[in-house]
Formats: sequence, structure tokens, C-alpha cells
Amino acid sequence: MIRVAAGGMSGRRRAGRSLIGAALVASLALTGCTTVDQPEESDGASGGGPGVSDPATDEAIRAIVDGRTIKVGFSPPILSEFYTQVEKAAFNKMKEYEDRYGVKWQWERQGALNDAHSGTETVGIVEGYISRAFDAVFVCSAAPAETMQQLYAKGSAEGVDFYQFNSTEELANPSQAEDPTGGLNTVSNIGYDDRWQSGYISGQYIAEKLEGEGEVLQIMGPSGSDWTKLRQQGFEKAISEYPGIEIVGQADGGYVRDKGFTAAQDLLTKFPDVDAIYGENEDMALGASQAIDAAGLKHWDGNEGIITIGADGLVSGMESIKAGKLTATVDVNSTAIGEQMIETLFAHEVLGMTVNQFVRVPTDVVDKENVDWHLASLKANLAGPGKY
Amino acid sequence: MSTDQSKARVSVLERAGYRLLLDPTLGVQAMLVTICVVAAFSFPVFLTEVNLYNVVGSSIIVMLLALGMTVVLIARGIDLSVGAVMALCAAVTAEALLNGYPLTLAAPMALATGAAVGIANGLLITKLGLPDFIATLAMLGFASGILYIWTGGVPIIGYMVPEFYYVGGLTPLVGSVTVPMLIALVLALVLGGLLGWSRLGTHLFAVGSSEHSARQSGVAVHRVRILAYVISGLMAAVAGIVIAGRNTNVPADLGTGYEIQAIAAAVIGGASLGGGRGRILGAVLGALTLAVSINLINLLGVPSSYQKIVIGAILLLAVVANRLSEIVNAWARRRRLARAPVDHEADAPDLGPPTVPAESLKPTRKALR
Amino acid sequence: MRSGSRLMRILGTTGVPIAIALVIVILVFQVLSPVFLRPSAVSNYLNNGIPILLITVGVAFVIVGGGIDLSIGTVAGLSAGMTIWAVGAGMPTPVGVLVGVATGLVFGVVNGFVITQFGINDFIVTLATLNVAGGLLIVLSENVSLRGVNAPGLASLTQGSTLGIPTSFWIAVVIFVVMQFLLMRTVFGRRLFATGVSSEAATLAGVEVRRVRFNTFVISGVLAGAAGVLLASRLGAVQAFLGMGYEFTAIAGAVLGGVSLAGGRGSVWAAVVGGLMLATLQQGLRLNGVDPVYFSIVTGLAIVTGVVFDRQAQRLVLRRNVGGGPAQAVGAHPVAPEASHARETGVKS
Repeated sequence: MIRVAAGGMSGRRRAGRSLIGAALVASLALTGCTTVDQPEESDGASGGGPGVSDPATDEAIRAIVDGRTIKVGFSPPILSEFYTQVEKAAFNKMKEYEDRYGVKWQWERQGALNDAHSGTETVGIVEGYISRAFDAVFVCSAAPAETMQQLYAKGSAEGVDFYQFNSTEELANPSQAEDPTGGLNTVSNIGYDDRWQSGYISGQYIAEKLEGEGEVLQIMGPSGSDWTKLRQQGFEKAISEYPGIEIVGQADGGYVRDKGFTAAQDLLTKFPDVDAIYGENEDMALGASQAIDAAGLKHWDGNEGIITIGADGLVSGMESIKAGKLTATVDVNSTAIGEQMIETLFAHEVLGMTVNQFVRVPTDVVDKENVDWHLASLKANLAGPGKY
Repeated sequence: MSTDQSKARVSVLERAGYRLLLDPTLGVQAMLVTICVVAAFSFPVFLTEVNLYNVVGSSIIVMLLALGMTVVLIARGIDLSVGAVMALCAAVTAEALLNGYPLTLAAPMALATGAAVGIANGLLITKLGLPDFIATLAMLGFASGILYIWTGGVPIIGYMVPEFYYVGGLTPLVGSVTVPMLIALVLALVLGGLLGWSRLGTHLFAVGSSEHSARQSGVAVHRVRILAYVISGLMAAVAGIVIAGRNTNVPADLGTGYEIQAIAAAVIGGASLGGGRGRILGAVLGALTLAVSINLINLLGVPSSYQKIVIGAILLLAVVANRLSEIVNAWARRRRLARAPVDHEADAPDLGPPTVPAESLKPTRKALR
Repeated sequence: MRSGSRLMRILGTTGVPIAIALVIVILVFQVLSPVFLRPSAVSNYLNNGIPILLITVGVAFVIVGGGIDLSIGTVAGLSAGMTIWAVGAGMPTPVGVLVGVATGLVFGVVNGFVITQFGINDFIVTLATLNVAGGLLIVLSENVSLRGVNAPGLASLTQGSTLGIPTSFWIAVVIFVVMQFLLMRTVFGRRLFATGVSSEAATLAGVEVRRVRFNTFVISGVLAGAAGVLLASRLGAVQAFLGMGYEFTAIAGAVLGGVSLAGGRGSVWAAVVGGLMLATLQQGLRLNGVDPVYFSIVTGLAIVTGVVFDRQAQRLVLRRNVGGGPAQAVGAHPVAPEASHARETGVKS
């Protein structure tokens, strides 16, 4: 079973790399890869690990690896379902590489717990990794970008490589036109663009379903959060492209369900005729969905009712789409983020390849039409063999 | 009552007037009414049945916690663990339902968890002599830590059985009345009765007013304080059961910040952190004030960046209102004493036992602060 | 016999038991993880810990006076934001520092004024100002950029070093020494202890209790401002939500060091040791690769054992020193409530 899964995964890579087509369907059936819509990484080169599963190649890489142990730190901004999915995908990839190339992993998760929003806890955590001379550290933090960049510069000087994942580096519009690093002190940034790959496509989805006419409510994360800022930018840009669509009300849902529920309930009282609710994450969108039920309003059935759309791509969100409680969600591809993290790390750290500063995974709006394969793929990831 | 009819009528009116003026929750009542009137004029939608039920519905969780908190505050304690304990109990309920236990078993499991935490809090405070603030802060850490380790940060989902939609208030029972509203009402009445008419109630006030004199007059101080924390733990458990139903998922950080809201509601309602004072009606009104504030912020479309400032301002207003009502209470009491010195003894029970020791302590409190 | 009782007295001094425990904990962590005492790790640990230690000391003053201040965390965050804003707007570093400290001062004055003049409970007033300060930081961060500020002068406060030790360490030591002097060797300090033990007795003895309490909130605010300046220096940029939750760490640290929440007992160095204990536990667990989900449990356990340990040491000393002066017993034993019982019964009768 493990072998099948591993084989399937390498099959996916082959497809993603070169042959876009028939191989996809087969690999999809095996692993449920989430990159089917855009097999080419949207931002060009990925970190790119080894490709085809070929005994001679594997043997050669095995010789380079030489049974080496890589010490990796993993610092998410909070412990949540999303980051658990990312970590699990990374584990599956690590297990695959361990089996194929004999690379050993020492993985240590230290996420912030108390101040997810300010992220100052991450500073201490990252300094701890530097003190203990880790090989590489994956960071996702709400700490100010400047603070983290200073820290990365300090750590890099001591030989620690930094990779950001699911971060908000796009807020500063880093450009590689003049500077290959885009002004960042990281080896690579793995994630998606919160504006265009999340907020924007949510707005587009709503506008298209409503055929350019309608009123929209927005349940936002706490103001001051970079994720909130970016998704809002993208969402508002999309809506502004449709003059017939209007954002009539906004409220703070604090990224949590009960607050999102109350906020949506209040907004629905004031604007009972709205056509869609955008929740900036799935929990708030699900809170909005509950508010629709509680108000005795109708969910979107393809023609009428209220559209609810969130963003994350969690098992719970997808189950709700299947159950008709949530119209859609933006799957920001936790699985691909986790896999890309390890692929990029391996390519750079072990094989010494040059990796791109910005690795963007494909994202997708998931609704009833395509939820089945997304959910199946997610569950396959969670059931994967990796465990560290 | 040998006086003639008209005089009796006047005295009834006068009594009602004094009763109002002597009510320690006068300030918060006035504030709540003012906010509601202003809201009703600026937003016709505020007074709609739907909105009012929504506000009440959204206040229930904080209200349940504030009821327990009031009991603890009366006994001169504080319980910072309620939010985390609520989340833990929600998780116990959800996990039990997920494992196929009926609600009739899942709910008692959650209640037992809440009671156990309450006992632990009480023992840490009474037997080990830890300050309430620190013991319950440590308990907050324990409970949330256990929940994180247990769930690994992944929310518990998929436990919603049909009857649980009623418990969470997602499906109303009759009209717009939901089960949580009834639960809160019943528990408020029970706790109100407990504080007003039971020996435990009298003892709670006595311990909170002066532990020393309570002990001297034979009150089992430790037992009373432990019981106060058990009540708070049980209320947190009830809130946990309700929020598990309302939220339809249980994330590990479900309870974050609820302890502060519960304390705020209780204090807005006239409970004193110095002990010996607090009213069940006050806690209910306090929770409603907070819920109405959030409701108005959402209806007004206050930019979310200003929300915290607005909440801070409302808190300040509420405590100022409470302070003013204390002044009015004191004035009314003096006036009544001056006018009907003989009636004083007969009138005292009207106020209900809770306020009597509390009121008599007022000068001390003033001196303290 | 003599030396034994002297030992007991030292053990009974506020903060000593926890200081001993701290040394043991440091040794254990050093054995478990050799990087623990490496200079760079110690420097990080000090730089991370000092802002919270400053607010711990500030809140200790309030607590000794029988009060509590919940606003310190977000006030520190707001002060950090104001400092960055000022420096970013082109003001020289000293002015930026002043702006940060003044922000704290303003909140301290407001807290103290409302609490003492209107006689409103400090818990709820400072909870309100906690929200106001946190909200102002959000508004500030939305309206001006608190990032990308190039301020070497400000950064040198924490990133520079003097005599091989981070400059912030020296700043903190000076503040702690001054504060310890203020608390232990001045008239104000004596009045503060008197107020904390029994505000009524203090009033009878001619202490202007309101003024004393007002001053504690000002001290707490100013130290929160100073903590904010150091945070700004260390982070170089400020995010909304900075400082949220620091108040609980600070209060827990002070209490762990032996500052009594009932008022009337504590010292600056005890608060510092308590705060260091919490910071050390966190740093040690981190360097041993413990997942932070266990932190809250370990911290909770540490607080409980620490306070119980402290209590037992006190009790032991008291039992040994039955013959000792009553003044010492009142000062050292955390049962200040006894005094307030007496006060209350006195008023009632």
C-alpha cells in the first residue's frame, strides 16, 4: 500500500513536470493530487526535487545523501487544522524521500500559541532553532516582515536556511526584476498569493454566479492582520470589476466561528436581501452559513439563495460543501504547500540546486462540482504514511 | 397596616420608587435602556423581533459564564479558567457524541468535567492557599493545554446529532425561543434563589464580605469557597455543551477570551471584585449589554479597527454608571431612613437577603478603594 | 542555632526560595541542552525577556499597593507602535524613546486618575484601557506604516552591546536598581507597603492612600512605556496586537516571585526573579525541542508549585521565629487579608 502511494506520487511529479495529459488522470486516481488544474507551477519553477523514479537515479542521489540526517524546524503561527494538513503532507513527502534516498529527518514543530497575531513568540522560537544549529527552518508568522527578515539574515550568517510558507510576503510587492532574492533573506517562499489566488477568485466566483448583479456581505478577520488585508484587497478588486455587484456590509468575525456567526446574523438582520456572503476563512463562512439557517433563509441552490464562500480547504469545509451548507471555498492547497516545502528543501539543501524565491502552489475554488476529488485527495493526504 | 387607603397607596408607590432607587443594578439598567432607546431610534431594525432574539441568543454563552462568575466574585474569588474549561467541556461533549453516546450521557460527562475542575480550583485555593487569580490562571493553562494536546489543534467535527441542534439553539424550540435561552433563564432563577434564599447563598455573601467574621460565626469557609468554584465550573460546562451545539465544531481555542467577557459582564452587572456583592439579574443584564454593544457595532458598521476602542469605552461607561447607582442607592437609603425610621426593619427583607450584607459594607469598600 | 535561624530568615525573604529554584532550573537546562548558556542564546533570552520583566516590575508596584493593572501589555504594544511611528516620522531616537515612554505615562495617569478619583474598581478600569490601548494600536497601524523604519539608533538599544552584554540588559538593571530603591528605601515605598497591608490603617497613619495608589499606576504605565520602547527596538517593526496577553505573564511572574496579590508584600527583585523563572522555563523547553502546546501546562504547574513552595518556606520560617517581632510577621506573611478582616469588622460594629 505504501509503495503504491509513493509510486503514485512520483507519477504525479512526472506528469506535473513534463507530460500534461493522460498521465494526470491516472496519477490523480492514485493520489488525488490537488494540482490538476494547473500542473505547471503558476510562478514558474518550483523547488523541484528529483523527478522520475528510476533505480539508477535513485542510487546516485542515495550516494549524495549518504544517510544524512536533516534537522528541520517547523514553526506555524498557530496550531490548527490547516497547519496540521500542511505538516502531514510534508511528512508524506519526507517518508517518500527517506524510502527512496535514505535521507533521515529530524523534524521539530514549535508553533506560537499565545500571540498568533503579533507573532513575537516566533522570534524566540526561531532564535532557538538558530542556537541549536538547525539545517533549515520553515516559518509562517504574523510577526512584522522586517523583524523576521532581520532574524533570517542573522540565522543565515550562522548557516541556517530559512523558508517561509503560507506567508504574506506579497504584501510588500517584492520584485525580482533587479534583485534575485526579491529583497528577502529566505531561500524560498512557498505558498500562494493571498490577493489573487484567494481573495480575488472568491470575488470572481460570486460575481459570475450572480451574473454581475447583487449585494454582498463581507465577514472579515481581525483588522490589523496581514492575511485579512491581502484577501480583502483581492476580493474588493474582483468586485470592483463588476459594477452591478456591491459590498453592502462588513463585520469583524475574528477568524472564529462563533464571532462569524453573530456578525453574519447581525448583518443579515440589516440586509436580509443579500445574495452572497464572503467569509475570509472557512470557519467564518460556516458561521455565516449557520446564520442563514437560523434566519430561515435559503442557501444557494445553483439559481437562487445566498452564496457562502470561505477560504482554507479544510476537511470540515469540504464536508460542509457536500452537505450543501457551504456554497464554495478556496482550497489554498495545504497538501501542495507541504509537499513543495520538502521538495524545495531537498533540492536546495541536499542536491544544491537553485530554487526560486517564490514557489506558488495552484489554488482552486471548490464547490459541489469539484468537491469530490478535492476531498478525496485531502483525505488521502491525511491517511498518508508519513509520521515524524 | 392600620393606615387609611390613600396613604397606603402612596406608600406602595413610594416603596416601589425606593425599591428602584435602591437597586444596585440601577446604573446598568439605565445604561442598557438608554443604549436600546438610542439604537431603536437610529435603527428601526434593532427593535425587530428577529434582531432582539438574535441579541439574546448571542448573549447566552457569556451570560451562563457570568452567572457562575458572579457566584465566585460574591465569595471574593475570581475564576479565569472558565473560558478554557468551557472549551474542554465542549470537547468532552463532542467527543462523547462522536463515540455514539447519547446526549443524556454526554452532557453529564461534561458537567462532571466542569465540576471536577471546579473542585480542583477550590482545593488549590483553599487547601494550598494559592491566590484565586493565580490558581485559576494556572487552571486556564492546564485546561487549554490538555485540549491542544488532545485534539492536536484540529477542531472536533461531525458530532451533531439532531437533538443537539436544539441544545445549541440553532433550531428554535417554540417560535424564536431556543433551548439555551430557557436553560439560561432556569439557571438564573435557580442561582438567584440559591443566593437569595438558601443558607449557601447567605454564606457566600458572608465569606465574601469578611472571611474572618464568617469563620467566627461558624461558616465552613473552605467548603463555601470550593462550592462557589464548583458552581462556576458547572456553569462553564453548561456553556460548553451549548456552545458545542451552537458552533457545530470544537476548535482548541474555542474559549479564548471568554473569561474576560464573563468577568466584564458580571462587573457591569454590579458584582464587585472586592467580594460580597453581586446580583444574578446584574449578570444577565451585563451579558445583554455586551451583546447589544456588539450587535450595534455590527449594525452601525463600525470599522472593525475601532471595535476594541468602543468596547473599552462601553466598559468604562458601565462602571461609571455603577458608581453613580451606588451614589443614588446611598442617597435613597439615607432618605428612607430619615423618613421612616420605624419602617426600616420591616422593609429590609424586601431587598432580598443578598443586598443586605452587601449594602452595609459599602462604606468599607469605599474606604478600601 | 544562631546560624540556623539566620539561614531561615534568608530563606524567608521574599523571592529567595524562587531564586534558589531558578538556579536549579538553569543548571538542569544547561545539563539537558549545552547551548542553553551559550552567549548568543543568553543574549536572545535576555532581549526577549526584558520587556516583559519591565512590565512585571511595574505591575508589582500596583500589586504591592493592593491593586491590579491589566492594561500593561497592550499599553506596551501601543508604546512600541508610537516609538516606531515617531522614529519613522524622522524624529531623533531620544525623542522616539520619549514618545514611547510618554504614551505609557498617559495611560498610567488615566488609569490612576479614574481609579482613585472616581473610586472605580481597578480590574475593570484597566480592562477597559487594555481595550482602548489595543484598539489605538490597531488604528495606528492601519493609518501609518509601522514597518520598514530604518533606525539604527533605536535598534542599538537591544542589538548593540556594552561590555559584551546587550545594552538593554544594562538599561533594565539600572531601572530595576532604581525601582528597588524606590520601593525599599524611600518614604513612598514605606507608604506603599502600608497602603497594601491595610489602606485604612495607612489612612489613619496619615498616608494619602489615593495619591500613593495613583503613583503606582503611573509607575506601571511608565515601565510599560519603557518596555514598549525596547520591544520596538528589538522588533524594528510593530504589528497590531503586539503585547496582548503579556499582562497575564507579568502578573504570574510577579506572584511567582512572591509578590502577594493581597497587597503589602513583595519586592522588585523578587518580581524580576519570578519573571525570569517563567522566561527561563520557556527558553529551556524551547531549546529542548518541546512543542509549545506543553508550555501552558508546564507553566501552570510551575506557578502552582512555585507559590506553594514559597508559602511553605514562609510558614516554616514563621514557625521557627515565633518569638520574632510582629512587624516582621506582618510584612512577610501573605495573610494581609487578616488585616482587612479586622478593619471590616471594626467598621461594622
